[in-house]
Amino acid sequence: MKIYSYAIIDSNSKISDSINGLEGVGVYNIYYRDIGIVVSELSEQIQDITQEHILKHEEVVEKLMESFTVLPVSFLTLFKKKDDVLLMMREYYSDFRENLDRLRNKIEFGIRIIWSGETIRNRIIDTYKKSSANISITDTSPEKSFIKEKFEKYKLDKEFEEEANKVITLIDDFFSRFAAEKKLERLKSDNLLLSAFYLVEKERQGDFKEAFERTKRTPGDLKFLLSGPWPPYNFIVLTKNADMFNRKPINQDLAGKNTL
Amino acid sequence: MTINRIVETDSPEAFIEEIEKIQGALPKRIDANPKNVEKGLAKLVLTLIELIRKLMEKQAMRRIESGSLSDEEIERIGETLMRLENKMQELKEIFGLEDEELNLNLGPLGDLM
Amino acid sequence: MEGVITKSKDVTLLEVLDRVLDKGVVISGDIVISLADVDLIYVGLKVLISSVETMERLRGAPFAGAQEEPT
Repeated sequence: MKIYSYAIIDSNSKISDSINGLEGVGVYNIYYRDIGIVVSELSEQIQDITQEHILKHEEVVEKLMESFTVLPVSFLTLFKKKDDVLLMMREYYSDFRENLDRLRNKIEFGIRIIWSGETIRNRIIDTYKKSSANISITDTSPEKSFIKEKFEKYKLDKEFEEEANKVITLIDDFFSRFAAEKKLERLKSDNLLLSAFYLVEKERQGDFKEAFERTKRTPGDLKFLLSGPWPPYNFIVLTKNADMFNRKPINQDLAGKNTL
Repeated sequence: MTINRIVETDSPEAFIEEIEKIQGALPKRIDANPKNVEKGLAKLVLTLIELIRKLMEKQAMRRIESGSLSDEEIERIGETLMRLENKMQELKEIFGLEDEELNLNLGPLGDLM
Repeated sequence: MEGVITKSKDVTLLEVLDRVLDKGVVISGDIVISLADVDLIYVGLKVLISSVETMERLRGAPFAGAQEEPT
């Protein structure tokens, strides 16, 4: 038997709704001080992780979100026994408390934008070729040719990123007005111009969605995706993890005992 | 399933394509299975060397851009970078690693590239 | 119309995966059960290593690690 975890919640009471998790088993709250972690029990053998498991996990988290402030736990976080869970809660308590307070009444929205990387690059190449104000490197040797090619690629990439940032800044400035926090992932691929995550107060959801409708009218050959509301996956800050290099593993923290 | 959550786009295929692309670039795991430990360590070491190499290249480009280098200096940089690149290629071949396998996801550090 | 609905489900799944696999609360340390029957080298990248395990499992590799490995 293993303990499977879904989310940290801002409550130390029993969960009144009956919610079923993985394997159709009911979830329950393991409390620690004034917070709790919602878990369910898993049998020993799981044959294959499937899409269903993932979606089920997410479904539980989102159901909890209706009644509590939640810190979603990442998929497949398992513990051997309840004592381990409580030890973990003790280690992370101040982090969890801080996050719960900061994220109360806030939800996450995702915005993704696609542009045609190839079109932009071609336009930049055309402009570059026509321009005479370029640093020229004479290719009088293999080393010089090598550098010349590298340098040209560098210039084109740089210009491409500047173009990208112009568009990103325009759009991000707009959405930021509705958000408490944000996290941006720029140009993860040539075409995926932006993956942005915004932390928005629940009451401003409508404003945010309306902002998305307006943004869709931005000129340029852009494609847009809006998703949400989500539990705040992208806004969890755990200082305990950053301490990784100084930290002893949890099971040795108890004055050198490693009874786990 | 859920009541409130929406995923709204008028170009689902385009986003599926791009998101799958980036999810495919998950870093490879290192495991201590004796059969694989060499390759795992090689991957880690080469990835870090590759990072340094790319940073050096970028630094060189910035210096050239500033226009403060003589022809000779540019040539020497070219030679160094060429040798580094060839060496990396050799090492990759020796360990049977592809370019994509050295794509360590550095999170915020990725912006250094 | 059915094709569009299917595609939308795929995008939703990808969005869920993007969040659920290595975002949210990621507990580091030995207290979380490792699901592989191989000891992992911790190089400060445990977060990344965990999500790779998960992805590999999603790709259909049978779940070998549910039993405890005798030490």
